[in-house]
Amino acid sequence: MISTNKIYTTIVIAVFTVLLSFQSYSQNWDIPANKSSKNSYIPFNNETAKAGEAIYTKNCQSCHGNPGKANSLKTLKPVPPDLSEKQTQSRTDGDLFYIITTGRVVMPSFKIVLSEEERWKVIAFIRSYNKSYVQVLSKTDPSKSKLVKIVLDFNAKNNKIRVYAKANEASGVVLLKDAEIMLFANRYFGKLQIDKTLTTNSEGYADFNFPKDLPGDKTGNIDIVVNVNDELYGEIEHQEKLNIGIPTDKPALNEQRAIWNTLLKAPIWIIVTYTSLILLVTLVLLYILNTLRKLKKIGDK
Amino acid sequence: MLDQSKKDKITSDLLGSIRLNYSFMIWMAFLVTSFSICIYAYITQLQNGLAVTGLGDYVSWGIYIANFVFFVATSLIGMLISAVLGLSGAKWAAPLARIAEIIALAFAAVAGLVIVSDMGRPERLIYVFIHARIQSPILWDVTVVTMYVLISALLLYLPLIPDLKICHDKLVKIPNYLRNFYKILSLNWNGSLEQEKIILQSTRILAILIVPVALAIHTVTSWLFASTTRVGWDSTIFGPYFVTGAFVSGCAAVIIAMFFYRNNYKLKDYITEKHFDKMGKLLVLVSLVYLYFNLNEFMVPGYKMKKGDAVHIHDLFAGSHALLFWSVQIFGLVIPILLLLFKKMRKPLPMLVIALFVLFGAWFKRYIIVVPTMEHPFLPIQNVPLNFRIYTPTLTESLITLAPIILVLIIITILSKLFPIIPVQETIDHLEESN
Amino acid sequence: MSEKEESPKKKSRREFLQDVGIVGVGSILAGSAIFAGINYDKKKKLGDRIKVLTAENELLEIDKNDATKVGKFKSQDLTFLQKQGREGIPGKRWVMVIDLSKCRNARKCMNACQGAHHLRPEQHHINVLKMQESKNTPPYYMPKPCQHCDNPPCVAVCPVDATFKRPDGIVLIDNERCIGCRFCIAACPYSARVFNWTEPLLNEDDKDKTYNVELNVPQRKGTVSKCLFSADRLRDGKLPYCVSACPNGVYYFGDENEDAVTNGTTKETVRLKKLLEENAGYRLMPELGTQPRVYYLPAKGKSYPFQDADKPEAEEHI
Repeated sequence: MISTNKIYTTIVIAVFTVLLSFQSYSQNWDIPANKSSKNSYIPFNNETAKAGEAIYTKNCQSCHGNPGKANSLKTLKPVPPDLSEKQTQSRTDGDLFYIITTGRVVMPSFKIVLSEEERWKVIAFIRSYNKSYVQVLSKTDPSKSKLVKIVLDFNAKNNKIRVYAKANEASGVVLLKDAEIMLFANRYFGKLQIDKTLTTNSEGYADFNFPKDLPGDKTGNIDIVVNVNDELYGEIEHQEKLNIGIPTDKPALNEQRAIWNTLLKAPIWIIVTYTSLILLVTLVLLYILNTLRKLKKIGDK
Repeated sequence: MLDQSKKDKITSDLLGSIRLNYSFMIWMAFLVTSFSICIYAYITQLQNGLAVTGLGDYVSWGIYIANFVFFVATSLIGMLISAVLGLSGAKWAAPLARIAEIIALAFAAVAGLVIVSDMGRPERLIYVFIHARIQSPILWDVTVVTMYVLISALLLYLPLIPDLKICHDKLVKIPNYLRNFYKILSLNWNGSLEQEKIILQSTRILAILIVPVALAIHTVTSWLFASTTRVGWDSTIFGPYFVTGAFVSGCAAVIIAMFFYRNNYKLKDYITEKHFDKMGKLLVLVSLVYLYFNLNEFMVPGYKMKKGDAVHIHDLFAGSHALLFWSVQIFGLVIPILLLLFKKMRKPLPMLVIALFVLFGAWFKRYIIVVPTMEHPFLPIQNVPLNFRIYTPTLTESLITLAPIILVLIIITILSKLFPIIPVQETIDHLEESN
Repeated sequence: MSEKEESPKKKSRREFLQDVGIVGVGSILAGSAIFAGINYDKKKKLGDRIKVLTAENELLEIDKNDATKVGKFKSQDLTFLQKQGREGIPGKRWVMVIDLSKCRNARKCMNACQGAHHLRPEQHHINVLKMQESKNTPPYYMPKPCQHCDNPPCVAVCPVDATFKRPDGIVLIDNERCIGCRFCIAACPYSARVFNWTEPLLNEDDKDKTYNVELNVPQRKGTVSKCLFSADRLRDGKLPYCVSACPNGVYYFGDENEDAVTNGTTKETVRLKKLLEENAGYRLMPELGTQPRVYYLPAKGKSYPFQDADKPEAEEHI
């Protein structure tokens, strides 16, 4: 009896452990504390929620379904949660922002697809399904971003780009410390991130390792984009053309003479062989026709 | 010297076929009627697109292309008989030269039309000339087939000139326009030594020229396949494999034609059993060579069984095409060779039956070369309807395939009605020489 | 979801109308109207009268001084589109990377592609195949577009220069030139080409459209069609239809000269060489020497299971 009970208990514990571990698998996002506490500078209201809904329908609905309708795509592992459920709503705004931004396993990252503002609007839409939610606004003032000036300095010796971020306040120049900085090189379809996301040091700059082998245009120019995200000043974007890439001027892929190219770019041997064979046969045929003409002339006599 | 009465008999015997009779009328009526039915089938294809065929995105070449290869193949016989045998001094073949040349000309000329029936946009045929890319084997094919048609036509015409004069002189009962037609074509032939020399010399030049051109037409046709990387086509022996196969079907076609001309045109004294015997031996020879190339073509990949080859060979030897494959090899090649080794079998009637088997076998061999390969691409055939995986020719398609065959028969019939099928002057000359 | 499905087709038509009608003629009119308004007082003498065709097909007569040239009305011109299609986009070498570990056979790529190019359901410019190499190796899904080979066997055999390779690497077909011989279909080892056996699907709707080589629309009966790397979208700086339609991050597309490819789902841009190096990238049937411009990343650590229902079909090819 006791032993049966023991087995029973073990099974129950085991099942719970498994269930719990599943739970923790879907809960386990490893969100850094400073990200978790991040707040939106956009107020969550009807207007922003509505804007968020449009973004949600386009980017999230195919997997998560409609909030409250439990119609998410069940074939995925892990199954995408219904976002009106407690599992989601119990998270902080910073958590949700982090999850949307970075993605994981089957959840794609929306860091590049959606701007920060758009990501917050999606959260505004998700929060509209939570009646008990009260928003804590961030102290960021987006209008202050205009005061920030970004300066790039390339050091050819060690191939580093130093990015300075300063704000020209009325009271004087303020260095942006602990601001998040991302550096990108513009490519045809999007921005290629250089190095990783850094934060400015106490002197208001960050050093990025620039790759030595990144192709630029014909003269080696590359369009550099800097994204700064500061607690106080919000998002700042800066673009600049730098001559730090490998000059790239590759020939067109249909330049060489080849069997697959156009007639004008056919291999010489084929042109020579083909035309000479045609000429040869044509000449012989003409010769034969001429002898026939002669034959007729002889008969005329 | 041959006496005049014998000459006259030869002339009247050989010109005897040039007249309109009921059997010709009925035969032509039959041909023209069936041809118009086939043309109707082609009109539906023009209207509805190639969807009327059993072709799909995977098996995109079917019996039209097989037919094209067969046509080019059969036309090669002109070169073998009038050039190779002629130049090597095999006199027995001389009476057959014109039959072979007519077959060559008809098949080669119609081969071009066969290709047009396979085109999705036949109205753009002219683009092949104005936007030509000389790197494409299709262009080589168009070029050499055109050359071959021209040379074959000349090779048919030149030895015909003396006979045309005879036609004009002797056939007094025929309508005037026809006599004028013969007169114009005979180019004032007067039988002088000078003229004879010209004919002899020009024929010789053409006979030499036609050898490489004929080899080229079928080698290039084989390259339509061998220039791809597909399993079953990616072969270095495809050129000679096709050329030797061509002689087999060409010989069979000539034997069939010989049989019918001999019986219908009452030419038993001119196309003799000796000719059948010789043609039988020739067929054995070319069939053996072809068998040898078949052995190479299947033995080498069959021994290694590389991934794609294995699928292909399995399919031919034991799969969905096995019945056709073995029938063609056994009834179209092996048994004819064995039978023709016996002298008794090299008589006109048995040879007609054997030649028919060989000719049908030759046609289906082209099918075996074209279709199974297309059913086995490198990557799996998925997400398409079943009829894209397995090719079954439709009725419309079969009728359109039949059209050029009927057209060839029409051309051969008309040509052999217009001109003496056995060279008249040459037969007389030969007899004089031997006397 | 629904919008994603139908957007490519609608979008292409919408864009087409926008490009052709509104931008083309509309802006001539708008430009001239504004110009006329501003310059009305300054105008000194009357010039010649010229005729202008509006987007609504109305023929207007306006004063020549009032008109400003805002660009050539070129989108409707077949010759221009053919020339543009052959020239390609200078300085580019397009390249696609397909990450097999991400593909779960969602077929959004196939739908988007068929919608954009007005294809029938059995016509695939891109086809998601169920593959398996041997009994003991796992099955996987493999999207297969045209490989846009640098040594293209299909282009080599074309007798009329209807299919051609552009400077930027794309292999295109001009179906105003194609004679429908289907030699290219026979020559392609990747079975990438399809044929219009019947009247194409949306032929009625498309009959007034000018043929665009870079979109292969309208499709033409009796001609060959195949993947175009969405050459029309690339011109606008947009990713190909299939690439942007994928919900699973399977596709990367970019320019080899920039050493960068962008993921169609996450829009993340990564370095091509690094991506191939880190994931053991490879190309299909390298032994044929066709030099494809499409790279594959092996199906290592698949994020989706291979469906049981698809297993028999995958096994068939072993």
